[in-house]
Amino acid sequence: MTQKKLLIALAGNANVGKSVIFNYLTGLHQHIGNWPGKTVERAEGTLHYKGYTIDIIDLPGIYSLSTYSLEELVSRKYITVERPDIVINVVDASVLERNLFFTLQLMELETPMVIALNQIDMAKSKGIQIDVKKLEKLLGVPVLPTVAVKGVGITKLLEKAIETVEKGAVEKHPRAIYGEEVEERIEKLMPMLSNIHLLYPQRYAAIKLLEGDEEIEQEVSRIDKQIVAAAKKLADEIRSLHGHACSTVITSERYELAGCIARNAQKLVSPIKPTWSERLHNITTHRIGGYIVLASSLLLIFYAIFTFGGYTSELLNNFFYEWEPLVKGAVGAGIASELLWGGVIEGIIAGTTIVLPYIIPFYLILYFLENSGYLSRIAFLMDNVMHKMGLHGKAFIPLMLGYGCNVPACLGCRIMETHRERLLAAFVTTLVPCAARTVIILGLVGNFLGFQWALGLYVFNLVMIFALGRLAFKVVPGEPTALIMEMPDYRLPHAKTILKQTWFRVAEFIKIAFPLIIAGSLVLKLAEIAGLLEPITGVLSPVTVAWLGLPAVAGITLIFGILRKELALIMLAALLGTTNFALVLTPVQMVVFTLVAMFYIPCTATIAALVREFRWKKALFITVFEIVFAIFLGGIAFRLLTLFM
Amino acid sequence: MEKRDLENREVPLTALKDKETGKVTSIKAGRGIGRGKGWGFEKRLMDMGLTPGTEVTVVKSAPFHGPVEVLVRGSRLALGRGMAERIFVEIKP
Repeated sequence: MTQKKLLIALAGNANVGKSVIFNYLTGLHQHIGNWPGKTVERAEGTLHYKGYTIDIIDLPGIYSLSTYSLEELVSRKYITVERPDIVINVVDASVLERNLFFTLQLMELETPMVIALNQIDMAKSKGIQIDVKKLEKLLGVPVLPTVAVKGVGITKLLEKAIETVEKGAVEKHPRAIYGEEVEERIEKLMPMLSNIHLLYPQRYAAIKLLEGDEEIEQEVSRIDKQIVAAAKKLADEIRSLHGHACSTVITSERYELAGCIARNAQKLVSPIKPTWSERLHNITTHRIGGYIVLASSLLLIFYAIFTFGGYTSELLNNFFYEWEPLVKGAVGAGIASELLWGGVIEGIIAGTTIVLPYIIPFYLILYFLENSGYLSRIAFLMDNVMHKMGLHGKAFIPLMLGYGCNVPACLGCRIMETHRERLLAAFVTTLVPCAARTVIILGLVGNFLGFQWALGLYVFNLVMIFALGRLAFKVVPGEPTALIMEMPDYRLPHAKTILKQTWFRVAEFIKIAFPLIIAGSLVLKLAEIAGLLEPITGVLSPVTVAWLGLPAVAGITLIFGILRKELALIMLAALLGTTNFALVLTPVQMVVFTLVAMFYIPCTATIAALVREFRWKKALFITVFEIVFAIFLGGIAFRLLTLFM
Repeated sequence: MEKRDLENREVPLTALKDKETGKVTSIKAGRGIGRGKGWGFEKRLMDMGLTPGTEVTVVKSAPFHGPVEVLVRGSRLALGRGMAERIFVEIKP
């Protein structure tokens, strides 16, 4: 018997528990990547159930099916082009009205669907009781109550989805009915669309044409420009009738309908008293208390990660290097063994000593904060500051991540809405001194010049981030940014979901970073064996010696630093023959070297992340810019500092 | 009873004090008409439920001209200051 196939898409607002349901259904059979050519995450998984092989796709969390953000466009295209057998619309029972606004739009796409009425327990504790049967009747779509974090109702949801598919196509799709003036004009448009072939259902296309949806206008005008003109005329009629733009009228009416259904299906019982979630919200967004909580949590997190990371990283290093004589002994001396150990294995060690001690704890904490709802509060508190560099509050999160490692930080820029914001945020993020650069700052300047110098460099770095962020904001064309964000209720995060999200992120990191780190190590090792390092030092010396005032060997160390920033310092010690840098470097040289190391290039893994998110051209541009900028800055610093020190 | 002279007039959302409620009258998207600058914001605000006639309650503002926290249609939104200044409301008497 051949396996029957089924394609299910999960759709809904952000923070409604979609990913929890997704993780519950698919277990470890997941694949997380990007949508082709887009910086939008695409999570797919497989499940076997009752003789079906079910592919599940988790669409991005969105509030509308217009084309404001990449996520919305991607989701809409997916539902109309790939035509999943059924869409499971995950709805937050405690914010029914807003969620149904999205449901109504999904219904307009005339896709078969069932609704998962999630977090009914939270709704209940907020005093909201929902009559599921009534909601089902009002919408004309099956509704199943679920509590995803506890796994309640998920099996029934899946069975209902399968049952709905098996029953086959419905005669008449349930739909949202608008006001008379709008309906009349939809009716007028529909016959014009009946002869042309569109991806979208006729009624949906008619509504979207009235709303002035650019993407659908383009598609229709390729076939018949007259229809678009007619739609514009009809939309103008509505504008003069209502005094608002037609898209505003339609959105309003859709929300009214959602509100009406919500009010009919839900009953507010107990008077709303402040729950623990409410109290926590008040503290964490308080004008003074909020910042105190934020600062102390960040300090605690970084302190914990760096202490844990430093300790584990050293432990791992020692463990790996114990094997060196054994491996080299087994392969025998010679070029092969040099390449194997110095290239491949040291590359793997380099990667592992970053991933285990730093990346994993980082992601665990990040996802804990995200799933609990705290990240949106951080964005709220920091919006103001981020605006100074042309970004909005959400960008603080990748920036914060950057202090740990730039790679997850670059990938984390996906939380920004538009491509432009993502690019700007990623650029700024690569300037943040990550854990590896912290090793250099503290190990060189901090150790030999004193803590205040290290601190000074961090402050200087922040100033530069602001300045360059602002500059990039002015240079890159596009709309200004602004924060519009839902702050969901606090909730206890689901441990399994956090673990899985972390696992898949780490896997992604390994996939992106490891091949490059290993390849990089190999190339450097080859260059060393071929005796190319000496000539390179010579070629670089006009920059390193004449312009930056550093010892000639610094050039090589900075090249190794591209692989992994802290290698720059390790190599410097090796080449200068001492770890007591005070003997071989002047204070000015220390500052200049650290400054250059701080800015001069994203490491290979970060470049790979940039390429993946923004393609070669932009990644290359950022890389070249940072090299030039760091050298420029270092030279200036060398000249200025020589006057004082 | 003292009456605030803001009543029944269109004011930006940022003129509301904490805990005050207003009804959205319009969103001034900024320079240009139609799809110029800021069109995307207007659409997005609408999609988040800030359509004309909707009641909005200001919960609090972040310090130093930070974003505004509002309650709209039973959910809690954070709106950047610049954005909130473009949302015009009528204060409920």
